[in-house]
Amino acid sequence: MKSAYNYQWVYNLAVVKETKRWAKHNYITDEQFVKINEGYKVPFYHPNLIIRILLFVATLLALSGVTGLFFLFVADAGSVGISTMCIGYGIGSFIILEKIFIGKNHYKSGVTEAILYHACGFTIGGIAGLSDFDNTQLLLIACLVVFSFSAIRYLDLITSLAAIASFAALLFYNCFEAGGVFKQIIPFVFMLSFSATYFITKKLQRKDDLNVWSNNLLLVEAISLVLIYVSGNYLVVRELSVNLMDLELIEGADIPFAFLFYFLTVFIPLLFLYVGIKNKDMVLLRVSLLVVALSVFTFKYYFIPGNTELIMIAAGAILIGIAIALMHYLKSIRNGFTRENLLSEKWQNLNAEAFIISQTMGGNQSVNQSGGEIGGGGDSGGGGASTRF
Amino acid sequence: MTRKIPHELFEKGLITEAQFQKIETITSGRVVSVFYELRTMLYLGVMLFTTGAGILIYQNIGDIGHIVSLGLLTALMILCFGFAIKHEVKYSNDRVQSPIPYYDYVLLLGSLLFISIQGYIQFQYGAFDDHLGLNTLVTAFFFFYLAYRFDHLGVLSLAITAFASFWSLTISPQKWYSGEFFSGSHLHVTAIIFSVLLSGVAVVLNRRQIKKHFTFTYLNFCMFIFFAGSVAGLFVDEHLYLVYVLLIYAGCYFAWVVAKQRKSFLFLLYAFLAGYIATTYLLAQTVFEAAPTLWFYYSILSCGGFVYFIIRYKNFFKQA
Repeated sequence: MKSAYNYQWVYNLAVVKETKRWAKHNYITDEQFVKINEGYKVPFYHPNLIIRILLFVATLLALSGVTGLFFLFVADAGSVGISTMCIGYGIGSFIILEKIFIGKNHYKSGVTEAILYHACGFTIGGIAGLSDFDNTQLLLIACLVVFSFSAIRYLDLITSLAAIASFAALLFYNCFEAGGVFKQIIPFVFMLSFSATYFITKKLQRKDDLNVWSNNLLLVEAISLVLIYVSGNYLVVRELSVNLMDLELIEGADIPFAFLFYFLTVFIPLLFLYVGIKNKDMVLLRVSLLVVALSVFTFKYYFIPGNTELIMIAAGAILIGIAIALMHYLKSIRNGFTRENLLSEKWQNLNAEAFIISQTMGGNQSVNQSGGEIGGGGDSGGGGASTRF
Repeated sequence: MTRKIPHELFEKGLITEAQFQKIETITSGRVVSVFYELRTMLYLGVMLFTTGAGILIYQNIGDIGHIVSLGLLTALMILCFGFAIKHEVKYSNDRVQSPIPYYDYVLLLGSLLFISIQGYIQFQYGAFDDHLGLNTLVTAFFFFYLAYRFDHLGVLSLAITAFASFWSLTISPQKWYSGEFFSGSHLHVTAIIFSVLLSGVAVVLNRRQIKKHFTFTYLNFCMFIFFAGSVAGLFVDEHLYLVYVLLIYAGCYFAWVVAKQRKSFLFLLYAFLAGYIATTYLLAQTVFEAAPTLWFYYSILSCGGFVYFIIRYKNFFKQA
């Protein structure tokens, strides 16, 4: 499937956004940034985050009025009629989104998201309504299909997340319904499936023609890692076994394979951390920090009842200690890691720059900090299609 | 998507070779920054530590250990402030760069410990029983001093919060949720006056070029309190609703002016929500009583119109 957005413009926008960060750090001069802006025209309407939220809220409110009128019209159609019309309305919304808004160069403008989620909701709700809301399998499949479609076609991250969640739910539901041994091996099914998802995602990220989905793939990558960990986490497995599978635990008894899950709760975060550091993989590294915290919580929950405040103090002190120690340790570059802020805020860039120069060019380049006069506020917005098309 | 950008720009001659080398080192991931990770860890550490200390103090009240823990925490607090003073940078009206990467967090830790310890003394010895208000005020001004002296936005927020609570205004979502925010008789009036006066001070400081980067934090608090107060007033003082509607419109105008000058649009978001509630309330009191189906047309037209307006004047809403 193709994205609804013009690839070249999405790419140009990525270039402009990326080089803006470089300019902020004075890796390139403002004149260069203006020149790059001219070379990479972005005809999209893609406002800043706050305006996007504002537009999103306003559009949702406006749509609520449309929805109200819609239900006034279809109120007498009977439940099948209403469900069918909901699906029609949902699909109609997709078409309007595409023809009117994306056709007018809206790109993730807040309006597009509002209409997109609205369309997803109606389509899925209509499908669920057709089966009187009691066919879970159908509902989950509908979610998976509609959310995946939205994620792929409109490059949307929230529906990407929803698609993964639907996939996980579908997997769980089917193993659960199959019963017997399948119910027992749900954690392993999850670990295997999402390990596979992780490695496939890693592979897809290297393909240039899938570039336009790089953010979606990044999200899938991170969520897969979290799910791999969660499905082996002792607390999750135990609580789900007790609550969903009617496992009766008498005093002192433990879940089946308890030791395996204890082991995984300790091992997976360490594995993530180790590989993350070794490969300088920031996704792994960040996820590992998160899941280390979850593991600490797990063991605290079962082995150290009470004393929450002491644990908090200890954990806080340890975190502060580690962070300060690392800040000292990474004063100079170690294994390619640095404490300096390489790409974003301005106030550190002098240090960072001097530092990178010394690293990469053996200090044989002169430091040319032109500072850069502000060259006539270039404007990336501007209407009109780029000459490439 | 961004992987090949440096190479492409270099090939097109848009960046020089030296720049390419420098940027490529970062984008290829040969050098990676853990700047944000370390900062997040520090921040979480400080939060966990002070929250834990706060609970510890309350739970052990009356124990023999409380003097010890209090002593230790006080010592730690003094250590933090000592560290801040030892590595201090000269005061300036502009933004000041922290001398050490974790400097800001040490100061934050000291300030949060200050609150814990003071709360404890208050509780245990009733030390400030008769001067509860005064005590909060002193805390507020101490934090204002710290915030300006050491240029710390976090401590500034603490100061504003403490200052607001001196006027019995609680700036905490949980409290609002349980309906305690405006439980008092005329707290929403206090809220409105407080926010107007404080934003007045903020604007004056901004004009005088004193810590201009603080202005946003001030205004953010003020706008929030102002709109929350006015919207609450709308429902509390029903017979005076017209006054509150007008107040909210005035607030919206102010938000508009700020957005225009500073090119920052967060306040417009508040203004839109409050303004929408006010307008809807006004219409509900007047027009809609007669014709309920007008609601749907109203939400379509008003919000649709608003969306159209923003898109039509998109250049106005562009960030600097």
